[in-house]
Amino acid sequence: METKQSKFETTCQLFIDSVNNYFEHLTQTPAEAGVPYLKEQDNLMLKEFTGMIGISGSRKGFVYISGNQQMYSDLIELFVGLAEPTTEDVLDMAGEISNVVSGNVRETYGSDFMISVPIVFEGRPKQLKFPSEIPVYVIPIKWKSHEAFVVIGLE
Amino acid sequence: MTLLIVDDSSVMRRTIEKHLSDYHLDIIGTAGNGRDAVQIVKDKRPDVVTLDITMPEMDGLTCLENIMEVHPQAKVMIITALSDKLTGLQALDKGARGFLYKPVSPEDLTKAFDKLLNRN
Repeated sequence: METKQSKFETTCQLFIDSVNNYFEHLTQTPAEAGVPYLKEQDNLMLKEFTGMIGISGSRKGFVYISGNQQMYSDLIELFVGLAEPTTEDVLDMAGEISNVVSGNVRETYGSDFMISVPIVFEGRPKQLKFPSEIPVYVIPIKWKSHEAFVVIGLE
Repeated sequence: MTLLIVDDSSVMRRTIEKHLSDYHLDIIGTAGNGRDAVQIVKDKRPDVVTLDITMPEMDGLTCLENIMEVHPQAKVMIITALSDKLTGLQALDKGARGFLYKPVSPEDLTKAFDKLLNRN
């Protein structure tokens, strides 16, 4: 029988693997994952730019990745050679990483793990609230010198 | 040979365009959703289409069905983050000629396009 702890560990590991695959495959520099932890709802872990994916189907909730502008700018420069991306580009990059990391988890969860198009935002929107009844997992990550958060809230 | 790039991420569209520059394809359009993509296919009948699946307005699988109705000769390469087997099979069943899972490196794209365009 799957315990709450083993479910937490399995879910976090899937997303850690997905994040690692993203950075290593595209940049040849793996991301380092910190120790995942269960987060209380009242203090959201947000950096400067965030890409969020809504989850429906077999699991319900959300996944977001939040990082600072420079991390996304470095990726954009690497991918398309653009040294000074616009805010729109940075938001787009934030959404695309969240999309890929969440979509790749379907290799394990299957096609019933349905993901939305990304919702992207800068800063900390006042209206942003998460359902209180679901556990929220936080995985700190570091790619090069950039710190970011992968945050998973799933039923 | 003409190419249409369809992805809701503008960074991804530019990345694909950059990685495919060696093929000297004539990029006749880009689209950020399936609805716009279908209209471009109707108007310009591209030889090759790269197509994302998770997009607003119209998803990639629905878009693929529409493309195959109006222009069945189009060689469609799906490029998606949805890495489950069922999605891949559905896309091939609906007429896609190739399938790539994101994250896509330049090498992944080159290998897939060599196969798609019979350039081995």
